Amino acid sequence: MKDAVVIGAGLAGLTAALRLARAGKSVTLVTKGPGGLHLSQGTVDILGYAPDRVAAPLEAVGSLPAEHPHASVGAEAVGGAVSWLAAELGPDLLVGDPARNVNLPTAVGSIRPTALAQPSMMAGEVTGGKTFSVVGIKQIKDFPADLIAGNLARSTAPDGGALTARSAWIDLPARKGEADPTPLTYARAMDDEAFAATFAKAVAAVAGKADVVALPAVLGAKRLDVWRQVAELIGTDVCEIPMPPPSVPGIRLYDALLAKVRDAGVRFVQGSRITGFESDGDTVTSVTLAAAGGPRPLTARSFVFAPGGFESGAVDVDSKGGITEPVFGLPLTASDATPLIQSVYWGPHPLFEVGVRTDAAGRPTDAGGAVVHPNLYVAGGLIAGAERWREKSGDGVAVATAVRAADQITGGSR
Amino acid sequence: MKRLETDVVVIGGGSTGLGVVRDAAMRGYRAVLLERVDLGQGTTGRFHGLLHSGGRYVVSDPGSATECAEENAILRRIQADAVEDTGGFFVTLAGDDPAYADQFLEGAKATGVPAVEIPVAEALRREPRLDPRIQRAIEVQDGSVDGWQLVWGAARSAMNHGAKVLTYHRVTKIEREGDRVSAVMCRDEKNGEDVQIDCSFVLNCAGPWAGQIATMAGADPVAVIPGRGIMVAMNHRLVNTVINRCVYPTDGDILVPVHTVSVIGTTDVHETDPDHLPIPRAEVQQMLDAGEAMIPGFRKARALHAWSGSRPLIKDDRVSVEDTRHMSRGMAVIDHSKRDGLKGMLTIGGGKLTTYRLMAEHIVDAMNDQLGENRPCTTAEEPVPGSEDRKLYTVTHRLGEREEDRLDDPIICECELMSRSMFVELLHEQPNATLDDLRRQLRLGMGPCQGGFCAARAAGLACSEQVADSERATGLLRLFLKHRWIGIWPILYGQQVRQTALDHWIFAGTLDVEHLPQPEEEIVR
Repeated sequence: MKDAVVIGAGLAGLTAALRLARAGKSVTLVTKGPGGLHLSQGTVDILGYAPDRVAAPLEAVGSLPAEHPHASVGAEAVGGAVSWLAAELGPDLLVGDPARNVNLPTAVGSIRPTALAQPSMMAGEVTGGKTFSVVGIKQIKDFPADLIAGNLARSTAPDGGALTARSAWIDLPARKGEADPTPLTYARAMDDEAFAATFAKAVAAVAGKADVVALPAVLGAKRLDVWRQVAELIGTDVCEIPMPPPSVPGIRLYDALLAKVRDAGVRFVQGSRITGFESDGDTVTSVTLAAAGGPRPLTARSFVFAPGGFESGAVDVDSKGGITEPVFGLPLTASDATPLIQSVYWGPHPLFEVGVRTDAAGRPTDAGGAVVHPNLYVAGGLIAGAERWREKSGDGVAVATAVRAADQITGGSR
Repeated sequence: MKRLETDVVVIGGGSTGLGVVRDAAMRGYRAVLLERVDLGQGTTGRFHGLLHSGGRYVVSDPGSATECAEENAILRRIQADAVEDTGGFFVTLAGDDPAYADQFLEGAKATGVPAVEIPVAEALRREPRLDPRIQRAIEVQDGSVDGWQLVWGAARSAMNHGAKVLTYHRVTKIEREGDRVSAVMCRDEKNGEDVQIDCSFVLNCAGPWAGQIATMAGADPVAVIPGRGIMVAMNHRLVNTVINRCVYPTDGDILVPVHTVSVIGTTDVHETDPDHLPIPRAEVQQMLDAGEAMIPGFRKARALHAWSGSRPLIKDDRVSVEDTRHMSRGMAVIDHSKRDGLKGMLTIGGGKLTTYRLMAEHIVDAMNDQLGENRPCTTAEEPVPGSEDRKLYTVTHRLGEREEDRLDDPIICECELMSRSMFVELLHEQPNATLDDLRRQLRLGMGPCQGGFCAARAAGLACSEQVADSERATGLLRLFLKHRWIGIWPILYGQQVRQTALDHWIFAGTLDVEHLPQPEEEIVR
């Protein structure tokens, strides 16, 4: 029997597993596939909009409604959790200050707030007077350099200043004869210093004079200093702009966290779903792994449930609108999707705030506030109360609730 | 103001209008078609995709049945690239009266609709998802037809014969000189310019909007009763054969495999405004129940998109053209010279997409009579551009087309296998188009992800190809997302909730599209 089984290998599950292992607990991390980081932008958002642009996220967390997942954790703990993760991953992967947002350009040219970002992105911080040269790679279809530059140029920086941006393109195949590569193909090619040098030379030839050269986020999969090499060769600061999935910056975080989790002795089981659980009274005794040879119980003293939200199927809506959590059958904040589905695209979508209520320790509760299972903790996207993509809070919620769950299990001892 | 001159102005860019403009042009008339938005954006683009064998009408409307059977054969010849030969079954479900099938077979014989009863086991072998409790199965020659391919094929044919097809031209007034129509006034919406088109004849093919158009000519109001029906597209081809319920025509009794999806339809509810057609959740549930009755487990399948279309039913018996004996009950032609004392204008309503060519033939015949001309119809013989090889559409055609260039041409819309060059080519051909306009011809964003991955790429290409500046490209992206949502939220359940959440993570989460600088006026066309 393990001290804990963690379900889910997104940012929440990986963080919980690492935190538990660091505290000396024996942990099994079980996941049906790579988690949501592959789909993310590879930054750690805490709170970007509330609903106006947020400059000081931890301060803003203090004024969130009580139902918000950040509110039950508290600003101080959110900041502590995010800082702990940043220290674990180190400045080659995450930099910034959880108390202050940076505004970074997106792959359509909007200006997006986040708390921590990868060092390769930071030179892109959008401040008044800055000149961007946005350089696309012809073979990469998710980095529309002209649209990005055009939108940046007609935007006002959050500090009120004007921006200058222009675009250019290079034609550089990562692999010969491949017309439709993914960003990952380029990122792997960049791990080779010679290819990165060729790339830098091509970019330098078209970029022109600018404060920063903005590039698709493909500057290395394993090698984390590609951006430095490229910047030095070009002679200008560079910034990576994250793209839609598959996300190279997200994969970097996933790879790094998973390596740390494994190094810390966590048993990692990938490829099978958790389909149910056994209990003794209210206490969960095991979860059921649908392994290749048949169902197998994974026993533990405590369980951290970090399966993600609607996007990962952790919350299900049936054809009649019934909303359920299929693994533990946990009580949710709503059971009927029908009145929550909005006909207007632009605006809040309350359906996606539906999830599990928790007590202050992160344990699921029913509508009356009673804890459902005393040794089951939830973390991340399953927790109700936030439309995380809209307010840019998903990573912060994941990290903060994962750390809370782990610390509850360890009694805060590390 | 811009001024044009022509013989006949055709109003309405749906199948009827395009059939009419093609027919008129092929008979040597100078013809201009006016459409207020894009082609096939009304009823023609909002049906279930069924190319009727006629089977549906063998009992209820024998005249229509015969027409459908004949036109079905003609469209396979002249518009092969829009038609897939799926074949069709009429099945008696458990609980349906098996005797209706006898009535059906008799009706089919009488109307000349090819129909053969096949053993239930054979039907189940060919469509294994059918409810195994079906009692009888009759095979017919249904097909599926892409309404947009159909109208664009007709449009290209008409243009080759000298017609002008003007989209985004909204009719504002129909001028008369004494008791005759003399000109159509319209607004070129893209260029913000008024256009006057002098003409001697107006053919009002505006479908559900025909009443509004007739009023613009000063005619007495024409009663159009939009009969709304909803359709739901399921993610897969749950069947490869059109499945009809073998009962007297009712709601939710057809499942049509079209392209990579299957479409269940439909309902029939009277509405008052064809510009506002809801997709009520109760009707979605009704469609899912109907699907479940034919295909057990239907509710567990993934629904992709829903839409609502309006049948252009005209109720006006006061005056019609002399010879209606060839016209089925669903078709109505109003002769405004008799009805309103206004010469040079006919209004057409009713009809079905399957018989659109025949409707056009009737209407242009009626115009011939009024003009004292004798110009025979030739539309049933000549294939439209793109269908010269008379090869019917097959669901694998894009895979075949991509085989050659798969190593050179990136795919912009993976769900529908739309390559970059397909998109860029049409973008330059129609630089004023919205992404939805391009979608109707290319199927951009119509697959499982509903634009999640391709929409931003498409907007980026519009910008890079310099058909739109960044402000317009952004507006096009926003408009596309907004429009996709209209058909997503009514069926938001199951796997599509998961997809929607992922799409939100991309557009709101990673790209923060909501906070792009807004133009002073939202781009709407």
